[in-house]
Amino acid sequence: MPQLTINDDLVECRVGLTVLEAATRQGIVIPTLCHHADLSPVGSCRMCLVEVDSIDGQVAACTLQAEDGMRVRTESDAFAKSRRMVLQLLLRRYRRPDKLAAGENELERWARHYDVPILSSSNDELLGATRYPIDSDDNPFIRVDLNQCILCTRCVRACEEIQGRFVLGVGDRGEHSHIVAGAGTSMLDARCESCGACAAYCPTGALSDRMRVGQPEPDRSVVTTCSYCGVGCQFRLEVKQDQIVSVASHPEAAVNGMSLCVKGRYGWDYVHHRDRLLVPRVRSHVLDGRLRSAGEERSGWVDVDWDTALEVVARNLIRIKQEHSANAIGVLSSAKCTNEENYLIQKLARQVFGTHNVDHCARLCHSSTVAGLSMAVGSGAMSNSMRDIAEQSQALFVIGSNTTEQHPVFGAMLRQAVLRRNVPLVVADPRRIDLTEFATLHLRHRPGTDVALINGIMHVTLINKWHDVTFIDKRCEGFAELCASLEIYSPEYVAKITGVSALQIREAAEILATNRPMATIWAMGITQHTTGVMNVLALANLQMLLGNLGIPGGGVNPLRGQNNVQGACDMGALPNVFPGYQSVTDAAALQKFSEAWRCSNDAGVDLREISAGLTVTEMIEAAGQRGLRGLYILGEDPAMTEPDSNHARECLTNAEFVVLQEIFPSETARYCDVLLPGTSFAEKDGTFTNTERRVQLVRQAIPPMGDARPDWKIIAQLAQEMMRLENRTSVGPDAAWQYADTGEIMGEVARLTPIYAGVSHHRLIQGEQLQWPVRDERHEGTPILHVGEFTRGKGRFHAVDYLPPQEVPDSLFPLVMTTGRVLYHWHGGELTRRSTGLMSVYPETLLEIDASDAHRLGIGDGSMVRVSSRRGVMVAKAHLSARVFPGVVFGNFHFPAASNVNNVTIAALDPIAKIPEFKVCAVRVERC
Amino acid sequence: MEIDLTNNTPVLLSRIGRPESHTLSDYRADGGYEGLARVLRDMKPEDLIQLIKDSSLRGRGGAGFPTGLKWSFLPKDHPGPIYFCLNADESEPGTFNNRILMEEDPHQVIEGLILACYATRSVTAYYYMRYEYPRAWERLLKALDECYSAGILGKSVLGSGFCLDIFPHRGAAAYICGEETGLIESLEGKRAWPRIKPPFPAVEGVFRKPTVVNNVETVACVKQIVDRGVDWFKSLGVPADPKNPRDPGSYGPKLYCLSGHVERPGCYEAPLGITVHQLVDHFGGGVWKNRHAKAAIPGGISMGLLKADEFDCPLDFAGPGRYGCLGLGTAAVVVMDETVSMVDFLHNSARFFAHESCGQCTPCREGTAWALRMLERIRAGRGRLKDLDLLLEIGDTIGIMPGTTICGLADGAAWPLKNAIRKFRSEFEEYMQRTNPSGYQQTDAVPALSSLSHGGH
Repeated sequence: MPQLTINDDLVECRVGLTVLEAATRQGIVIPTLCHHADLSPVGSCRMCLVEVDSIDGQVAACTLQAEDGMRVRTESDAFAKSRRMVLQLLLRRYRRPDKLAAGENELERWARHYDVPILSSSNDELLGATRYPIDSDDNPFIRVDLNQCILCTRCVRACEEIQGRFVLGVGDRGEHSHIVAGAGTSMLDARCESCGACAAYCPTGALSDRMRVGQPEPDRSVVTTCSYCGVGCQFRLEVKQDQIVSVASHPEAAVNGMSLCVKGRYGWDYVHHRDRLLVPRVRSHVLDGRLRSAGEERSGWVDVDWDTALEVVARNLIRIKQEHSANAIGVLSSAKCTNEENYLIQKLARQVFGTHNVDHCARLCHSSTVAGLSMAVGSGAMSNSMRDIAEQSQALFVIGSNTTEQHPVFGAMLRQAVLRRNVPLVVADPRRIDLTEFATLHLRHRPGTDVALINGIMHVTLINKWHDVTFIDKRCEGFAELCASLEIYSPEYVAKITGVSALQIREAAEILATNRPMATIWAMGITQHTTGVMNVLALANLQMLLGNLGIPGGGVNPLRGQNNVQGACDMGALPNVFPGYQSVTDAAALQKFSEAWRCSNDAGVDLREISAGLTVTEMIEAAGQRGLRGLYILGEDPAMTEPDSNHARECLTNAEFVVLQEIFPSETARYCDVLLPGTSFAEKDGTFTNTERRVQLVRQAIPPMGDARPDWKIIAQLAQEMMRLENRTSVGPDAAWQYADTGEIMGEVARLTPIYAGVSHHRLIQGEQLQWPVRDERHEGTPILHVGEFTRGKGRFHAVDYLPPQEVPDSLFPLVMTTGRVLYHWHGGELTRRSTGLMSVYPETLLEIDASDAHRLGIGDGSMVRVSSRRGVMVAKAHLSARVFPGVVFGNFHFPAASNVNNVTIAALDPIAKIPEFKVCAVRVERC
Repeated sequence: MEIDLTNNTPVLLSRIGRPESHTLSDYRADGGYEGLARVLRDMKPEDLIQLIKDSSLRGRGGAGFPTGLKWSFLPKDHPGPIYFCLNADESEPGTFNNRILMEEDPHQVIEGLILACYATRSVTAYYYMRYEYPRAWERLLKALDECYSAGILGKSVLGSGFCLDIFPHRGAAAYICGEETGLIESLEGKRAWPRIKPPFPAVEGVFRKPTVVNNVETVACVKQIVDRGVDWFKSLGVPADPKNPRDPGSYGPKLYCLSGHVERPGCYEAPLGITVHQLVDHFGGGVWKNRHAKAAIPGGISMGLLKADEFDCPLDFAGPGRYGCLGLGTAAVVVMDETVSMVDFLHNSARFFAHESCGQCTPCREGTAWALRMLERIRAGRGRLKDLDLLLEIGDTIGIMPGTTICGLADGAAWPLKNAIRKFRSEFEEYMQRTNPSGYQQTDAVPALSSLSHGGH
C-alpha cells in the first residue's frame, strides 16, 4: 500500500486511489468543483491544484494517482491565490439568479470561503444582460439556466456514466463553450429520460428541479423508500410544513446512490393531488342497511365519520359471515402497501374473517415465477442482488424485461455494466426495447415462444459441452430427463418456432455459456403467459446447467414490479401460505398461527378446517357469480389491471358488498360500497421489501391528508371493531390488535416468520442492510440465495416443452397484441396520471405498430385506431415505431376506460400459477 | 554565434519546385523508397530505433522531444496493436513547413511514416491532416493510392511481410487538434479535449492502445537519417551544451517558415541554430521596404516575442529560451516592422487564443477570453496602467507550466502576453496615456470588464 505525506500527515491508501481520494479519506479537504466521487475525474476546473515534491508546478489532485513516497502540500498562499483566480474567472461567467431556487450552492460556498465577491445583475448594473436565455429547455422536470453554468461537465458525465443516456454534451469552444442537448436540440428530443441525475450532480443550479422553483426552503428532510417499482430506491423527501417540496438524492442509498428515475424523483405530486380521498364514504343504500336488488345500480356517496364507516364495514362482513360463510369474503391486498399492512391484512383475513381468500397483484405478475422457482430451487425470490449482478456478472441475459423503463435505476446499472465493464448482453424480447442498443445480441423472438428459445440455447450448450458438469453432479437432479427433452430443440427447429435465426441462437448460447458468471434477468415477458411456469422452469434449467447459482454475478433474477410486491408475498398475502411461505396446509405452521392468533371464542374460525383460498382472478369471478359476497380491497385497482377487463368490471358490478381502502377514487371505486381513505407512502411508517429481498424503511414525512389514516391503523381498527361485535378477546400472544407503531407489527412478523426472524425496525434505523432470510437478530441477512445448497436441497431440472399461446392470430384477428408499461407511467396509472409532469410527457395511450402494418391498414402516425379482440375494444393513438416488428402491436394499461389495453387481453390462465396471459392475444386494428 | 551557411544545401526540400515532384515515379527516380527497402531487408525495428536515438533527432512539432526516446516508451512485447498518428494538423500561426512537404513531396513524408511505423511496430497509422489543406489532402490521397498499387502499403510492404495501413483523416479546423491528445480524442470521434497525462499516448493513446504521435517534418527527417546516416545528421546544427546534462543538442536540418515584413517570405531549410538575423537577411532579403524590424515571433505565436535587438537569438531548441521566450516551437518566424503597434499585435494574439481555447480548463477558457476583453478595452481607449499588471497576472498563472491547465494551449496564450508587456511596456503605457488621458491612472475595480464581454465582438 502506498504511503504518502499529505501536509504533515502520513497517509496510507490502497493502490489506484488519487491524491484527492487519499486526502479525503484522511479528512483533508481540498476544494473541488468538477470532481464528484461517483463520476470519472476530468481535472478541468483546476480548483484542486496541489504541489507534489516530484512534479514541477501545481497539479490537479483529482487526477493524480497517489504513489508511495509522495510529499503533497494542499494549502499555501500560492494555492489560495490560484484558487481565487479560478473562482474569479468562474464568477465572471456565473450569473447568480435574483432569486435562488435553493440555498447557497457549491460554487458560492467556495467563493465565500476564499472571499471572492459574487456579482449579480441586481447588485451590479454593468453585469448587464445574460448570455443565455433563462429556462431554455422545455423539459417538464429539469430547468436549464446556462447563465449559472460553470462548465464543470458533471451533468455530461452523470448522463453518460450514471444513466448511460448520452443526452448532454458541450457545444462550441473557448468561452462560448456551453452545455447542449444532442446536437443542439431540446433534452427530450435528445432522448432524455428525465431521470434528473444532471440536476442532482450540478454544483450551481444551472440544471435544477423545475418542481422546486418557487417552493420555500424545506424545514426538514426525511429519508424514505420510493413507492414506485421494486428496485427500492431511497431518497430524501424535502418537506416544508406539511408539504413535500422536492425529492432529493440520498447519496448513501444502498441500492441507488444518487440515481433515481423520472417517476421516483419527479412523480411525487400525486400525494398532494386534489383527488385525494379525505373522508370515508358509504353508499346511501348501504348506510340505510339495504341490499341492492339484482341489476340495481349503486346509489350515491355519503361522507361519513370513521366510526360509522368502520361499523358499516364490520357489520356487513359479519352479516355475510353469518348468512353465508367466512369463505364468502375475499381480500385483495396491495403490493403498494407496507409489509406491516400486508401482514395485518392477511391476519385480518385469517384470524378475524376466517378465510384464506387473500391474494394480491403478484398473481398477475410473478406468481409463475414463485411457482416455477419453488419447484426448481425451492425459493421463488430473486437469488442475487442488483449490485452484484451489475458489478460482477461476466454476461447478462435479459429476457422479457424492459428493464430501463420498468426498473429504470437497475436498467441504468445494466447499461453501466456494459459501458464500464464491456459485459456482453443478450436481450431476448419481441420488441426492440431500449436495452437492445447496449446488447451484443438481440433475439427478437415471437411472443410466447420463450420455452423453445431457451431450450434451443440449452441444446447448443449441451452439444458443445459448455455445461457445468461438476455443479450438475453435485447439486442438481433430473439432468438425464432434461437432456432427453432438449434433443429435438436444434437451432433450426427453434428458428422455425421463434423466428430467431439458427445462427443467432448459436451465438447467444456461446455468449451466455462461455462467459461466467452469467446473470439471467426476467420480468413480465416471461411470466404473463399460459406457459409462465414452464418459462420460468426453463430459465432455472439454464442457470443450473451453467452452474450460475449461488455465486455473485449470476442467479435467477425475476424483477418484481411493484414497490412491495416481494414484501406482500413474504407477508403471506397469498391464499396458500402464511407469512414467510409457511404453507396453510402444513400442520406445524397451522398450529403455530392458530395458537399465536387464538381468541376467546373462534366465531366460526378454525384455521385448521379451512382450505387454501382463492386467487385474485378467481375472487373477481366468484364475486360476479356471488359465490363471494364480500370483497375487501386494499389499494388495488382490479377494474384496470385484470385481463379481459369488461368481464372484470361486470363481475364487480354484480358483487354484493365491496370495500375499497384507497387514496384516490380509482376506476375500481365505481364498483365499491364503502371507500376508506388511506394514505400514501409519504404519510406513514413501515417497510417495503424490494426485488432483491432487501427490507427498507418507509418513514412518515407529512401528516395524513384530511381525515385519511395510515392503512395499518384502518386495518387494526376494523379488526378491533369486528372482534368487539363478535365478543372476541385476544388470548394468543400475537392475537391482539393494539399496535403503538409499525415497529411493533414488524416485531410480531419476526416472531412468526423464520425468514424475517432477525428483521426489526431498530436494526434498519441503525442503517443495517438486511436481505432475507435473516435468521436472528445477529444474522446479517442473505444477499445471495442458494450458496452451497439450494433452498430445496438439490436443484431440480424440469423437462419442459414448447406450447403455443392460447390465442394465435387468424384471418379475423391477424395481429398479435403484447402489453406492458412505459417509463412515464406505472401500472393502472392511478398515481402517475395524477402527476402533472409525467402526464405532460405521456398524456394518452399509444399503440405501437410497425410502419408496414400501419401503411397496409391506412394508419398514419398519430391516427386514432380501434383495436378489437374477441373480448373487447380499445381505442388508442397509433405510434408508428420500429420497436415492434411486423405482425405485432404493443399497448399499455395505464389509461382508463376505452384506452385500456386490458379491454382486449385474454383471461387465459397458467394452469399452475393462475397468471393470465397478458402478453399474447389476437387482435384486429382499424382506423377509427 | 552564427552558423556558416556557405555550403547549405536543402535536403528535406531538395525535390521542391519540380512539376512532378509529388508523384511516385518522380520520387522513385530520385531513389525514393530505396532506403525503406534496405531497412526492411537489413534492419530490425529496434536497430532503427537505435539509429534514430543515435542521431539525437528531436521532434519538429514544437516541443522538441527526442524522437527515439519517445519511441522507446512504448511497452515491450505489447500483445495488442500499436498505433501511429502522424500529426499533420499544422495550425500554429505562421507555420507552413508541413504543408510544403505534403503538397510538394508527399512520398517523402509517407516513406518516413512507414519507417517510423516499422521502428515502432505499428501496423496502423492515422494521417491526421488539418482541414484547411485541400491540395495537400488531394495529393495525400493520390500518393496513398499509388503506394497501395505499388505494394508499398498493405499486407506486405515492398514484399517484406511487414503489414501497414495508413488511414487518412481530415480534421475539422480546430487548433487544439494539433495537441497530441486532443488529436487522439478527435480521431476517436470525440470533442478534441486534451487528456490528462499521464498516461501518455505511448502507454494509452488511440482507442486506449499504445500510440506514437509524430510530426510530419519529424518523419521526413527519419527518412533522411536512414538515407544519409547519423554522421551527416549530426554534422548539422548545434551540439549539446556540455554544462547542461539534460540538453540533447539541436542537430540536423530544420525548415524555417519566414513571414511578415520581409522581402522574401517563404519556407527555408537551414541547419538548426541559425540566428533570426541570418534567417531574415540571408534568406528573407531583409526587412521589407527598407524599414527597420521592431520585433519577431521566434517559432509560432505561442513562443512569445523577440525585440529587434534580440535578433541574434539562435533558432535552435535552446536559443529562444535564453531570450525570455518559450522555445523554438515550430520555427515559424514572423517579422514585424517599426510600423506595427504592439497593442494591435497582442490583441490579435489574444483573439486567436480565446477563439481556439477548447474550453475544458477554467483558467484557459475564461482567462484567454478575459485577456481579450481587456485588450479590446485598451484598444478602445479605456485602458488603465493597472490593466497591464492584471494581464501579466493572467499570463503568469495560466498554463501547463504553472500547472493550472491540462495542455499547453494556455502557455501559448500567456507567452505573447508576458513578452509583449514586459518587453514593450512603455509602448503600452504611452498608448494608454494617449488614448485614455483622463482614466489611465485609475486603479478602482473595473466592473466594466464584464459588460464589455457582452458588448464586445
